[in-house]
Amino acid sequence: MGKYILKRTLNSLLTVIIVFVAVFMLLRLMPLSGYFPQDMLKETDEATRMSYLRNQGLLDHPVKQLFRFIGNLFQGDLGRSLTVYPKVPISTLLAEKIPVTAAFGFSSMLLGIVLGLSLGLLMVRFKDRWGDRLGTGYILIVRAIPNLIYLFFIQVWISLWFNLPMVFKKDLPSSWILPVICLSLGSIAWYALWLRRFMVDEENRDYVKFALVKGLPKKQVLRRHIFKNAIIPLVIYLPSDLLFIISGSLVIESLYAIPGTGGLLTTAIKSQDNNLVQVIVLMYAVLSVIGVFLGDLLVAAVDPRIKLTEEE
Amino acid sequence: MKRFIAILLAVAMVLSLSACQFLPKLEDPDTTPAATMQPEDAANAVDKILEGKTFENVYKTYFSSSYASFNYYSTAYATVREIIANCIDGLVEPNTYGVYVPSLAESWKSNEDQTVWTFKIREGLKWIDHTGKETEYAVTAQDFVDGIRYIGDPLNGAYSLRVVRNLIEGLYDYYWLLDDIDSGTVTDTTREDAVATFDEVVGVKAIDEYTVEYTLTSSAPYFLSLIESSMLMLPVEYEYAMSLGEDFAIDNEHMLYCGAYYVSAFERDKAITLTANPNYWDKENVTIETVEYQMIPDGTTSLEMFKRGETDYTSVEAEAYLSLQGTEWADNLLPTSHSFSTNYLWLDFAGENPEFNKFINNENFRKALMYSLNRESLASLREPVDPKRILRNTINAEGAIYDSNGVDYTDYSPLKEIKETDYNQPELAKQYMEAAIKELCDENGNIIGCEPTTVDYLPVCSFDVDGKLPVTICYVGTDDEAEIIMAQLFKAMIEESIGADYIDFQIQAYSGWTYGTVADPLNYDIYFDSLSTGYADPSGILTRMTTDGAENVGKYNVPEFDALIEKALAATTFEERLQYFAEAEAYLCGNGFVIPFISSLRGYYMSYSVPYTSPLTLYGNTKYKGTLVMSEPLTKAEFDVFEAAYDVERAEALKAN
Repeated sequence: MGKYILKRTLNSLLTVIIVFVAVFMLLRLMPLSGYFPQDMLKETDEATRMSYLRNQGLLDHPVKQLFRFIGNLFQGDLGRSLTVYPKVPISTLLAEKIPVTAAFGFSSMLLGIVLGLSLGLLMVRFKDRWGDRLGTGYILIVRAIPNLIYLFFIQVWISLWFNLPMVFKKDLPSSWILPVICLSLGSIAWYALWLRRFMVDEENRDYVKFALVKGLPKKQVLRRHIFKNAIIPLVIYLPSDLLFIISGSLVIESLYAIPGTGGLLTTAIKSQDNNLVQVIVLMYAVLSVIGVFLGDLLVAAVDPRIKLTEEE
Repeated sequence: MKRFIAILLAVAMVLSLSACQFLPKLEDPDTTPAATMQPEDAANAVDKILEGKTFENVYKTYFSSSYASFNYYSTAYATVREIIANCIDGLVEPNTYGVYVPSLAESWKSNEDQTVWTFKIREGLKWIDHTGKETEYAVTAQDFVDGIRYIGDPLNGAYSLRVVRNLIEGLYDYYWLLDDIDSGTVTDTTREDAVATFDEVVGVKAIDEYTVEYTLTSSAPYFLSLIESSMLMLPVEYEYAMSLGEDFAIDNEHMLYCGAYYVSAFERDKAITLTANPNYWDKENVTIETVEYQMIPDGTTSLEMFKRGETDYTSVEAEAYLSLQGTEWADNLLPTSHSFSTNYLWLDFAGENPEFNKFINNENFRKALMYSLNRESLASLREPVDPKRILRNTINAEGAIYDSNGVDYTDYSPLKEIKETDYNQPELAKQYMEAAIKELCDENGNIIGCEPTTVDYLPVCSFDVDGKLPVTICYVGTDDEAEIIMAQLFKAMIEESIGADYIDFQIQAYSGWTYGTVADPLNYDIYFDSLSTGYADPSGILTRMTTDGAENVGKYNVPEFDALIEKALAATTFEERLQYFAEAEAYLCGNGFVIPFISSLRGYYMSYSVPYTSPLTLYGNTKYKGTLVMSEPLTKAEFDVFEAAYDVERAEALKAN
């Protein structure tokens, strides 16, 4: 096991380095005009713009910039935002934004798992009957209708009917309700859909038929045998889902004015905020490899048939 | 697929334009009861309205995009200006009529040619921190000198420096000397030595503790409006700012305040609270105790929140305006008042398209383009309710610049004629086009001296031209839905007026940095942009539009215009200066070197505040000092009464100034 962990760690480190260096270098291929907002481009002459870029170190050789960034990183300095939040330390930004997004992400993930798995179980328990149809209807609505339509409906009308705030306010607990529900709608559908699919698949296995023939109650077979086996393919995503709760949702954070990380990477890329992009990409790359790694470990833990290393 | 989308868009455009004909029109202001009131009746009516009102001391409003930083010298974000306008006072400020009155300066004077301006600062004022507590730092003349010192250092990355850097004596050379030292171009002096020369070489001096004097490179009768508009003219407590380094003003706790308010709470991208400065020099006139900003990213949410009483102001887009007709809110809809930003078509005189190049340098062709536009239809896309209110034929906005007799700059001849011309004359457009063809083509429709070639406007587009009629025009816009519809309308108008036999108008929707990728490298034939009158002088825009000016994106050659600008800058009186500028602007617009067509004004609003109680900040941003906030929303009928009374009072105030 120790060997496996070491091998995976080294592979993960290599992946992170490749992703990071590639993104770092690609950013340096972007046009210099991208560092300036449209009106600033019109307002300033070429010489002033070049002076600004030089003072920011953006005209240095990319390799020099890379080593400077890595050097600062090892001293715990993530640098400062260039264009999105000029001069604001990135560590400050992330410290402000990640907790907000993580709180929403964790709440909605929890809600998604609880309600999604419950709905999936309900659909299987009442397969081809009202429970199944209800669940299928919900999944269809969530997945087929463009989300802006029902998100907007929830924000305007549900907030009005239940007298809930339309936007998030940190000190107002009721303002958490609608964003958390909106964030979890998709994952409820996802968990329900896949759990139902895997459980229906398991239901047709010989061991289930055998258990039923032996006289075990269907409810017990469903809970103790089918569910346990059907949940395994879903478990592998849990660590990644948990780690990526900090990535936020662009649409919902924007709709409810949540000051989180949703859309931060997109905005940073659009504004050519190299420092911010680099830090976020690095963070996401690390989280991705950790997520996959933990997913593997978790699957091995819940399913004794799976071995991560070959038997000696 | 592209064709399908184009057809869909065209259908949508036609439907929307047809729909415009059935829209309710705003009441003509000249026929409303308030407009026909006598001045004393209007004043009495105002008193009567106010008598029945109760007022709040908290104002709830919103912002829709991030406040990136509060560093008023280096931020590129216009939204920061509003916070700063209320938290850092300048030397002067406009009163409710737009007349400049003392702010941190108690008095001021200028020399005869208005190249030296001296301001006497109020004594005994202190900077306060984000808790409202007085600091050890006094507000002195040196703070204004240090503001210029701060922006004069390239390492501080001051934004929008051009106007101030060019205007203050010695600042341009000082800035570039430091930059040359930083880049290693100049090695015979050190940075420290160069910085030490600031007080000697730059035209801003603290004559004594409370007197600051600016020496300018040229006559600037508009200097007070520049103080209002430019954040670069604001003071800074230098010792404090330098001690913070790059952290200066990154949030509310890393800056000091000397205005009517301070930022008492700041949650990035979420909420900002302004609290009245307890030590403010003019605190008797601060009527709102707290201004609460919250982030509301879109107009629909702000409108809903206004209806629920959660915000005291909301903008209302034209579409929402129509949906509110017939509801309880219809009487509360008010038109936005003005925009000094002008939308215009920029023409490429030096691009690679030989067909367009040949024609655009022909006066008749440019006039054909000018007279083919139905500006009202174009305006309908932005303002379907009352499109006429956003029409504009001039570059500088009306209502922005007045001479000492109160005459609007755009009423100076010959600019007035341009302003009042109806350019929607398709027959004339066709005649001009035929005249251009006679001059530029042979009888077989071959454009003389123009060979078939492939035009390389990459990364925007690339296309073939055959050197024959129709003239291929490549219009480049963004991929924004509204802009694509506008481009479709341009195409329909121009091809219909001039004739598709003569013009092949191609539209390229390009996403990305339009200036850096499209305008600057001349990857277009026609493109759409905007310019804004930034302070009370036409030079702000026009001096940048000369043949070698930074704003001459299309690379035209206009010696006549350049000569008029030179004359304007050398004029001895402000009226003479405006006259030459008006002639220059009329030359540029009348000959179709640029084609202005609408202002950026759009939409409506609803509010709980009493109109005309805040300073009239024409060039700066909203100030809350003096604003009265009612406990119920303002109605249009009440607004009309306030407006009628205000118009009379303002005319008198301007006359008395």
